[in-house]
Amino acid sequence: MSSAIAPLNKIYRRRRMVNALMLFISGLTLLFGLFWLAWIIVTLFYEGFNALGPSLFTQNTPPPGSNGGLLNAIVGSFLMAMMGTLIGTPVGILAGTYLAEFGRRGWLAPATRFINDILLSAPSIVIGLFIYSVYVAKVSHFSGWAGALALSLIVIPVVVRTTDDMLKLVPDSLREAAVALGAPAWKMIVFVSYRAARAGIVTGILLAVARISGETAPLLFTSLNNQFWSLNMNAPMANLPVVIFQFAMSPYPDWHRLAWGGAILITLGVLGLNILARVMFRR
Amino acid sequence: MNDHSSKQYDIELETLRSRVLEMGGLVESQILAAINGLTSGDLQALNAVILEDHRVNGLEVSIDTDCSQLIARRQPAAGDLRLVLAVIKIVTDLERIGDEAAKIARMGKQSYERARMPSAPVAAVKHVGDIALGMLRKALNALARLDPIAAASIVREDFAIDEEFSAIVRQLITFMMEDPRTISQSLEILWIAKAIERIGDHSKNMAEQVIFIVKGTDVRHTTVEELEREARG
Amino acid sequence: MSEDLQFANPKLKVKDLNFFYGKYQALKDVSMNIPANKVTAFIGPSGCGKSTLLRTFNRLYELYPGQRAEGEIQLDGNDILAKTQDITLLRAKVGMVFQKPTPFPMSIYDNISFGVRLYENLRRGEMDERIEWALTKAALWKEVKDKLNQSGNSLSGGQQQRLCIARGIAIKPEVLLLDEPCSALDPISTSRIEELIDELKTDYTVVIVTHNMQQAARVSDYTAYMYLGELIEFGLTDNIFIKPKRKETEDYITGRFG
Repeated sequence: MSSAIAPLNKIYRRRRMVNALMLFISGLTLLFGLFWLAWIIVTLFYEGFNALGPSLFTQNTPPPGSNGGLLNAIVGSFLMAMMGTLIGTPVGILAGTYLAEFGRRGWLAPATRFINDILLSAPSIVIGLFIYSVYVAKVSHFSGWAGALALSLIVIPVVVRTTDDMLKLVPDSLREAAVALGAPAWKMIVFVSYRAARAGIVTGILLAVARISGETAPLLFTSLNNQFWSLNMNAPMANLPVVIFQFAMSPYPDWHRLAWGGAILITLGVLGLNILARVMFRR
Repeated sequence: MNDHSSKQYDIELETLRSRVLEMGGLVESQILAAINGLTSGDLQALNAVILEDHRVNGLEVSIDTDCSQLIARRQPAAGDLRLVLAVIKIVTDLERIGDEAAKIARMGKQSYERARMPSAPVAAVKHVGDIALGMLRKALNALARLDPIAAASIVREDFAIDEEFSAIVRQLITFMMEDPRTISQSLEILWIAKAIERIGDHSKNMAEQVIFIVKGTDVRHTTVEELEREARG
Repeated sequence: MSEDLQFANPKLKVKDLNFFYGKYQALKDVSMNIPANKVTAFIGPSGCGKSTLLRTFNRLYELYPGQRAEGEIQLDGNDILAKTQDITLLRAKVGMVFQKPTPFPMSIYDNISFGVRLYENLRRGEMDERIEWALTKAALWKEVKDKLNQSGNSLSGGQQQRLCIARGIAIKPEVLLLDEPCSALDPISTSRIEELIDELKTDYTVVIVTHNMQQAARVSDYTAYMYLGELIEFGLTDNIFIKPKRKETEDYITGRFG
């Protein structure tokens, strides 16, 4: 009786062996990957928690050997990320809208899409250098604006891509329904396409913000850094990634501690944004 | 006509048609046996006709059931729908013809059990019976071949039967006036002749259904000329 | 074409209509008169051009590049394919309901007011009345009157489709195009919609594309059979389903196709 249900012939046994083997190998590689990730996070939290404290948020970056915090860097990062997002998002959304809604005919949209994909995967240091040569070098000083501009160039392709993709997920039947009622194209896009793709587009923006909040390279050549409290976007501006970079490279242990503190702040911030994005998208 | 995408549907329609023809064959043999029994006075044969009538009735019920099932399952349309509708009506006609055959046999049996039949009217009855039988055969053939022209020609033959029937009635009246003792027997023959005349009517109905199947036009209650035009057109 | 069609008062007159998807010709010299205040059904196998024909009546094909129509379509005597035809006005007169329910991602109330606002500036009270009227007409009012602020997507498939019908009739069109409106619905929702179609024809000229021949037989007064971009036969539904004139129609209707 049992043989009818489970014919344990050769082929079947072989199949089970291969299956078990592959499962074992996959599990092993999974563990390998997770091991490093866990190591990074454990180290980060171990070192970072020592640095966390109220002074981190209330004091500016100190000279070597004295106490201080990251207030100016946190505010600078926040300002530049916000300005970068504010500049990049509208451009990205409008360009993505063009690609998805109007770019059905002709060569312009496919070409734009291709170039956008290149920009999306361009090394961020290249973007930093670009802003340096076209803006910083021309005005001969580093500035918060230059940093925000560089970050916005990173935001744009991400937002273009997600907007394009999310709008393309909106079924044509919905567009047809709006158009069949007599709605002009812009009303159809604003009231129907955007509403249908809203969660996806917002998710894309959040992911772009997460991406730029950890970028060091483009800021190194644009906003540089600033030891002091400054809200002047036209002057060099402190920011977390560059501070981490400088402090971590320094020989001073208290700077090391602050670098770890900055690192954990960024990590927690990015984690928070990613969770928010996921929650948004699920809704 | 092409085959259906569904083979099973084809088979069901073909089976339906062949079962109607089978029923037609049975009814045909019943009439033949009744008329032969009538002329030869073979009481056993007449008895057999009466006993066989339930087979005809059984076929009617069973073919009707097939039609209901086919309509419920397949929702036939156009030509297929007309075939099924026509079959439902044809089967009713065939069952009535079967009843008439049994009636002829019963009347004949009664007559023979009492006395011999007068030969002259019986010969006339046999003659008209042959015409009716021929009509039924032609109607079944037209159905088998789905031939509207052949079906139309049957309608004209029905007039011949009606005339023959009137002739028999006149003949029987003469008999009865000459010798009132033959009245009861003459009446029996009259019933038989009437039954045969009805067979012609039912065959004509079947022929009209064949035209409906093929042409889609309902030719009942129209003139012969109209009917023939529809059959040809 | 039978006499009853020539005498019927036509809402739409199609004359020598040809339609192209790029180089592919999807409609070939289609001519027909669609009678007013009747239900006309287009049937035929997939790709026969029935949906394409339907989409010429509101010029929906213009949404896509490379699609064009040649010939003439008259709505009450005006050529709607003419360049001078205002497309918004055309679509105000010719409403459409699609195969899959397409509620907009907004509330039930806004789903209907969206279309109305394109043409009319109604005060809140008037808009409320219009929405109740449209939903009542679409046999949905009783089910949704207490949840007009809920999303249109929260309704069942059959309700969504009736919402789309309500949305279409709220702008008071004269012609209602239905592109396989029941193909995504269960039998009970389907029969609701079919009943609705029957009621709608007193006020509207209804044109319905359907894959379901029994549905065409149930709901329509006239039926057109199309094949490979050509109009093969057009006539009273009763004639088409009992006594079609063309053998091609008979073969398709009886399931002897292909």
